[in-house]
Amino acid sequence: MPDELPFDVPAALERVRNRDQAAAKELVDHLYPLVIRIVRSHLPRRVAEEDLAQEIFMKMFTRIDQYQGAVPFPHWVSRIAVTTCIDHLRAQKRRPEFRWADLSEGEADVLDAVMTNEQDVAPDDAVESHELVHKLLDQLKPDDRMVIQLLDLEQKTIAEISALTGWGQSLVKVRAFRARRKLQKLFTELKRKERS
Amino acid sequence: MNPTDPKHPWARLTAAARRAPHTGDTAAPYGFATRVAALAFTQERVASLFERFSLRALGVACLLALVSAAANYSAVTSVLAEDNGVATDDPVAELIELAI
Repeated sequence: MPDELPFDVPAALERVRNRDQAAAKELVDHLYPLVIRIVRSHLPRRVAEEDLAQEIFMKMFTRIDQYQGAVPFPHWVSRIAVTTCIDHLRAQKRRPEFRWADLSEGEADVLDAVMTNEQDVAPDDAVESHELVHKLLDQLKPDDRMVIQLLDLEQKTIAEISALTGWGQSLVKVRAFRARRKLQKLFTELKRKERS
Repeated sequence: MNPTDPKHPWARLTAAARRAPHTGDTAAPYGFATRVAALAFTQERVASLFERFSLRALGVACLLALVSAAANYSAVTSVLAEDNGVATDDPVAELIELAI
């Protein structure tokens, strides 16, 4: 069976600009995996991932005439996705308090383990760690959260985060510093309270 | 110890979290792309229609305002002239003048 041809983004964009609905559908299908990965990583509480993805695609079509081709089209769409997620995170006025009592048995065990010994987390506890990290991230301000998540979880560089969010590199560094200070405070507090 | 230290609980947690398997299908759900594409073009059409009619309505409104101002120019100027006369016949103004 012959290999599938790579998707021709510039041709699809040209057709979309000429109001070809079939091309718009193909473009959405092509970009959906990229958008949904960003949405799932930064999904705010109580927001359905499909609704958020739809909002991102609608913004993409509204602004498609502004795309000049300075960056690859998927990068441009990623930026729309990240900024839309930030807007939704900012809209969540209240952040839930982090309490030992709200953690599942597995999450509490992992947190207890990382705070009481210096060994790496067991590979079997990756899912619990992932949940725990997201609950801790929920304690941060939306902008700080976005920076620390991209930096520590997705291992992006400062320059990449700057390109994705549109914030200057100094601002990204300041937000990372502020987020880490808050996390440090949070861990100190959790250690003081201990697991009941 | 700060969170950038690899021995810090945060660094060890994020290292473990990165190993978590990605859940969920990354392909668009059935009908999603069709719906979004249709919605995008519909919204665009509604917006451009609104834009066109708004601009036309603004032009018509400006024209009507100019025509009505021109048609009533003499009436407006005569009323203004009468207003000056009324001011001198104002009984309150006369009373104040008497009081002074």
